[in-house]
Amino acid sequence: MKVTEQSTYRLMQSNLNRITTDLLSLREQGASGLRLNRPSDDPGAIRPVLNTRSQLQQNARYLETMGQAGDRMAATDGYLAQVENLLVQAKELAINAANGSLNDADLGILADQINQIRQELLNTANASVGGKYLFAGYQQATQPFTVNPSYDPALYDPANPATWWAGYSGDDNPFQLEITPGEVISTTLTGSELFFGIANGSGATSPDGVNSIDLFSVLTRLEEAVRAGNIDDPLQAGGSVQAQLENLEIAANQNRRLRSGLGARAARVDQAMAHQENARVDLEQILSRYQDADIIKVFNDIVQKETAFQAALNVTGRVSKISILDYF
Amino acid sequence: MAGLFNAINAARTSLEVNQKSIEVIGNNIANQTTEGYSRQQAIVHPFPAMHYGDFFVGHGVKIADIRRENDIFIDRQIRGKAVDLGMQEAMSRPLGELERVFGVGDNSLSTSIDSFFDAVQELSADPADLVQRNNVIFQGQALATGFTSTVAELDSIKENINISLLSKIETINAQLSEVADLNDRIASIEVHGQTANSARDQRDLLAKSLAGTIGAIAYEDSRGMLALQLPTGLPLVQGGMAMSLSAEFTGSNLNLQLQAGGVTRDLNLRSLGGEFHGLLTLRDSFIPSLNADLDRLAYELAVAVNLQHQAGTGLDSTSGNLFFSMPPNYQPAPPDPTAAEYLGAARQLAVVLTDPNQLAAGFSSAPGDNRNALAIAAIGREYRIGGTDSFTSLYGKIAATVGSESNQNQLFLKGAEDAMVQLENFRDGLVGVSLEEEMISLIQYQRGFQSSAKFLSTVDEMLSALMEIRR
Repeated sequence: MKVTEQSTYRLMQSNLNRITTDLLSLREQGASGLRLNRPSDDPGAIRPVLNTRSQLQQNARYLETMGQAGDRMAATDGYLAQVENLLVQAKELAINAANGSLNDADLGILADQINQIRQELLNTANASVGGKYLFAGYQQATQPFTVNPSYDPALYDPANPATWWAGYSGDDNPFQLEITPGEVISTTLTGSELFFGIANGSGATSPDGVNSIDLFSVLTRLEEAVRAGNIDDPLQAGGSVQAQLENLEIAANQNRRLRSGLGARAARVDQAMAHQENARVDLEQILSRYQDADIIKVFNDIVQKETAFQAALNVTGRVSKISILDYF
Repeated sequence: MAGLFNAINAARTSLEVNQKSIEVIGNNIANQTTEGYSRQQAIVHPFPAMHYGDFFVGHGVKIADIRRENDIFIDRQIRGKAVDLGMQEAMSRPLGELERVFGVGDNSLSTSIDSFFDAVQELSADPADLVQRNNVIFQGQALATGFTSTVAELDSIKENINISLLSKIETINAQLSEVADLNDRIASIEVHGQTANSARDQRDLLAKSLAGTIGAIAYEDSRGMLALQLPTGLPLVQGGMAMSLSAEFTGSNLNLQLQAGGVTRDLNLRSLGGEFHGLLTLRDSFIPSLNADLDRLAYELAVAVNLQHQAGTGLDSTSGNLFFSMPPNYQPAPPDPTAAEYLGAARQLAVVLTDPNQLAAGFSSAPGDNRNALAIAAIGREYRIGGTDSFTSLYGKIAATVGSESNQNQLFLKGAEDAMVQLENFRDGLVGVSLEEEMISLIQYQRGFQSSAKFLSTVDEMLSALMEIRR
């Protein structure tokens, strides 16, 4: 057995090749910061990495959706506060009218004011955000509330929507957004539940008048009662101011109930947002664990390999320095 | 007097032998870096001794043979390893390509899948918005293009494999007939008792190369002829006769055949070794299985999205519209889709919905209805495939298959390369040319030549002394 020049150089070359290949891979890791640059780098990590990436994307989408949900809820809540104010104003006017010491002209002024409040309530009910009607259910492009042209105070029947002061062209589907996988949340209220007191999906066509009520009719009939000076006769015009005062209370309760429900959902969105933000940190950590290079280790390895490379080059250089030919 | 002339003769043979030996050394040094060269050595025998009175006296030296150093064991080892090395080397480039096609970076197919479902989810927040609707269609098109271009890349890799097979066939045929020619030459030289050194070196080198490309197995018969066979036993070279490989295109498929003495035999990946085995394994088994997985992914995704999309209603009140084109072998109500139904789904995936108003975001035509958009977006998260995989995780599975195949290939390749370096070094250690050895032999023969010359001049002096006597 002998050692030939050929074997020595072959060995040197194969070693240098190996070291440079390793160095290239380490340098790629160092430069990209990634341990997983191509599938063969770690086949086992691919599925977790892809799954985590798609979860991160969903997570970002949910956070954005929740931001939008929050905006919509805040806008809705602003209008609910407005409704509450209007109802309070109407109640003050009604109490004023119920004093009984006012003359017809004063009552007329009060009635006009109530009329304006109703008009403002109608405007609120037709509120739009970004060109979309807020209280129209899915029919965002359709103005939800219109004045009933054939309204006749004498024919008013709480059980028959066709006799009410206002008509509703929206539907009973509140706009829902998905805030976490599988969890959808209503971000708005529909006009029918808020202003007509008809619960969504209940199939009812009219409120029960005990817990829920048609806000427009209350104000309309209050106006009629005030204008007619009917303080306490339920059978006369407007069904009496006293009766409408009670109805106003029901209306305020209805508004508060829906508003607190909306508030609870908004709190849920906040909570879910915080949760998703935590989840994002966790997911990013998971992703990093699978795909990011341990930079300190990589640089250590690079230094080690470079030393080895230098040593190998050194040895290769020395091989050619010693030759039997120098001794002849 | 006769003794002195004998001595002159002996000195002459010695001068000749030393000269010849130095020639052999010169040849060794000259071929120091020649691939496959085996060190040659002059085999020196004394001339038969003659009976001289009561003694046997030698009559010099002669070269009986110039023999190459050879080790059949190591040659066989090298050929065997060349088969492995050839296979792994041939696979490494296409596998590198496949790794690029099934990447895990931010522009992989899995990102396209995510982006599509993300666009649908985004639409759910604003279902009537035409920009969002167009974005869903756009992302759908990007996804479909992702599928079709991936399939096209697989096709082009197969095409490249065919081209590299074709380009090698000619070289292989030339090598086969060269082995046959060398067989003839070696037999005709060696029948005279000489060794056909360089022809044998050349033939060994060819046998090694053929082992690497097609996995040829070599046996030497009693006449010194090398028989080459394919791993399944089909003959490649028989004595002085060489068979040839041929290739035939049927459609876009390249079929390999062996023309053996007027008979044509089809070759498949099992009947070939080395590079061809590696390339055919990728072309006929690995890439088709990746293609089938892609088809499955495209089929499941397109059908799931389509069925849900058809259940909804667009802004224009139309229902039952397709979003993606239905896969070509789609069965409306299958028990469970099989490979036959998946076939071709990825290649033909396209978005057929063009009117953004027809995008069924809701179950009604109401502009605020986002229920169907939510349902479609949910498909992207569900474990739809076999109840265990979502679309992205199925893609991950495919990429992981490519990754582990390539990973294994890299490991095997490294191992085979190392083994080859070791074997070649081992061979060099036995039969290679070492400068030290040659230089030392050179001194030896130089001294031998010098001493023979000295001997000759001594005999000459003695002869002239004899001549002086008569004067």
